[in-house]
Amino acid sequence: MRSSVSKLIEELGGYGEVRVLRKGLIHLKACREDLPKIAELLHWGLGGYFSVSVGVDERPVDGLLHVYHVFSIDELGTYVVVEASVSPAHPRMPSITPVVDAANWHEREVTDFIGVEFVGHPEPGRLILPYDWPEGVYPLRKDFPYDSKVSVGEVPDEVVVDEKGLEGYTKLPVGPYHPALHEPEHFILYVDGERVVDARYKGFFIYRGIEKVAESRLTVNQVPFIAERICGICGYTHSCCYCQAVESAAGIEVPERALYIRSTLLEIERIHSHMLWLGVAFHVLGFDTGFMIMMRVREAVMSIAEMLTGNRKTYGMNLVGGVRRDINEGRKEVVLRALRRVREEFRESMEDILRMREIVSRTKGVGVLTYNDARRLSVLGPVARASGIDTDVRKRHPYAAYKHVDFRIPVYRDGDVLSRLLVRYEEVLESIGIVEQLLESMPRGEILCEEVEIPEYRKGVGATEAPRGEDIHFVITGRDNKVYRWKPRAPSYNNIPSTIVMLRGERLADAPVIIASNDPCFSCTDHLVVIDVRRGVRKVVRGEELARRW
Amino acid sequence: MGVVTERYPYEPVEVPEGFRGKPVIDPERCVGCGACANACPPNALTVEDDLEAGVRRVKLFLGRCIFCGRCQDVCPVEAVKLTKEFELSAMSAEDLYQVVELRLAKCLVCGRAFTTVRLALETARRLPEDQRRLALICPECRERMSSHLISYARW
Repeated sequence: MRSSVSKLIEELGGYGEVRVLRKGLIHLKACREDLPKIAELLHWGLGGYFSVSVGVDERPVDGLLHVYHVFSIDELGTYVVVEASVSPAHPRMPSITPVVDAANWHEREVTDFIGVEFVGHPEPGRLILPYDWPEGVYPLRKDFPYDSKVSVGEVPDEVVVDEKGLEGYTKLPVGPYHPALHEPEHFILYVDGERVVDARYKGFFIYRGIEKVAESRLTVNQVPFIAERICGICGYTHSCCYCQAVESAAGIEVPERALYIRSTLLEIERIHSHMLWLGVAFHVLGFDTGFMIMMRVREAVMSIAEMLTGNRKTYGMNLVGGVRRDINEGRKEVVLRALRRVREEFRESMEDILRMREIVSRTKGVGVLTYNDARRLSVLGPVARASGIDTDVRKRHPYAAYKHVDFRIPVYRDGDVLSRLLVRYEEVLESIGIVEQLLESMPRGEILCEEVEIPEYRKGVGATEAPRGEDIHFVITGRDNKVYRWKPRAPSYNNIPSTIVMLRGERLADAPVIIASNDPCFSCTDHLVVIDVRRGVRKVVRGEELARRW
Repeated sequence: MGVVTERYPYEPVEVPEGFRGKPVIDPERCVGCGACANACPPNALTVEDDLEAGVRRVKLFLGRCIFCGRCQDVCPVEAVKLTKEFELSAMSAEDLYQVVELRLAKCLVCGRAFTTVRLALETARRLPEDQRRLALICPECRERMSSHLISYARW
């Protein structure tokens, strides 16, 4: 394995113009025909993982459509942004999905929104846009006004699902709401008696297009608040990630105290998110007392957040250049005292719970994701760490104040539900330790850099370790105090496809906890799929039709 | 451990100091500058001029509010404040509006209504005495006046 950034730059230099945008961010302008070779080198040759693809309509700038594939090279602590462009007259470029499976959804999203076709993609077809969205209308292109209404076409009667080799199995729909998370997703499980043979997934039922709103209507400092609403659990990480991306693009120095405050809140968010997950996992396993215990312990963490930020969940703390509200010295002691109690109660409860044979036997060896599959799918966060991948943005690409604190990254090798549970359990304890260190060593000073100059058309990447894994935001700054392009990618985007691998060969009764073990973040639904098992036909029914018929 | 649940709503719940609850505009202080509407991410705050009635309306619609408190940050006269109130359910959407009406001021030169009386006075107060009149002249007229002065000034 290569060991230095300069070697990496030299190697990439063979494919085009390489620039180091800033520490930890390398930009390669490549020829589109070389994309699969570059992906092969970065993902398999250099041990990186695939992070995100971003399609950008840059016709107003240079007349071309651009695609940015972002890879993280953990070993070297750097992101590599590979840029390729294509003429809108023939928007076709080679797909990297045959080389890196993880790019599957990302490329289809670019096709949906920007209209670039990826030649050689094994599963082309709509991913996010609804079935009745008209052909050839690309909503993230710049000539599509954000407030326009499209005239929708016909909903196809049948949606073709690739079922090769699955004929004859019973199809079981799980959805349109998740059995435990009360969020829309749709799995089709193909079962043979009690065994799950394979599964298919359909999501994106309520893609809200907030990127478009942000690029069209909002100003730079309004976006952090919308970003915070991407997730109903870990929203603050998105707001941080967006601010970091803009700060990286504009080269803004954030005051140190603000960085400490951001890290503190990010960890508080991780603690409550993991506790919620543990509670839900216990609930799915039929152990509701465990759920109650977790919610009780977690409540103290929610109160800490409310006291520090003014709200339990939407902290609303970030602006580009820092934070809006200081942590009052007098409140530090209250927080530290509350956290000591949380740690004690949490550890005690979890130790008891982990001694229950029922919990262990329902999770051990269940829903295994092997190291190789985890690598191939570029899974992130606790899912990756439970499958033996030692990855964590806080360590690999240090941001906020993480370089000033000591903490351990728990890694397990079994790749089963129990490993994912243990990773999260230990992370909570680590996070409590991080918050304590941050509060005790927080430097004094400014919390917001007010003189912010944002130059036009600069690219920036922001990444945080969200509770569910690497969260990454890609930003191109614009004029008139706006962002030209903002692409957030939540960690579940990379993690959900692995659910299908985990489900294969498992018992049907374990399916809910396996699906939940990824801690996926779905969203709400506006149409549903009816499967006629006898005829083997999937039919998509729209809301109005539903209202008429039922 | 004992009982950990609360008797809410039968007993009130305390929220901490600095809680970001319902924003309220103080109609006595508001000058109608529109800074809040400009900063408001979800467009909960809007400003519209009713030339017929000769008033500017600053409207706050709680149905859209995300309680970020940016309005409070940017208000130059401390007219918007977030309160501790969080029980906001209402029987009709109408009840979720707060409207502040401010009298419009007309330009001394062209007669167009371009600002509110209060904002003009507030601006005038911040200007040196010999320039106060300018606060009552619309930007377009001011521009014309300056270029006129520059072109015809005797050097």
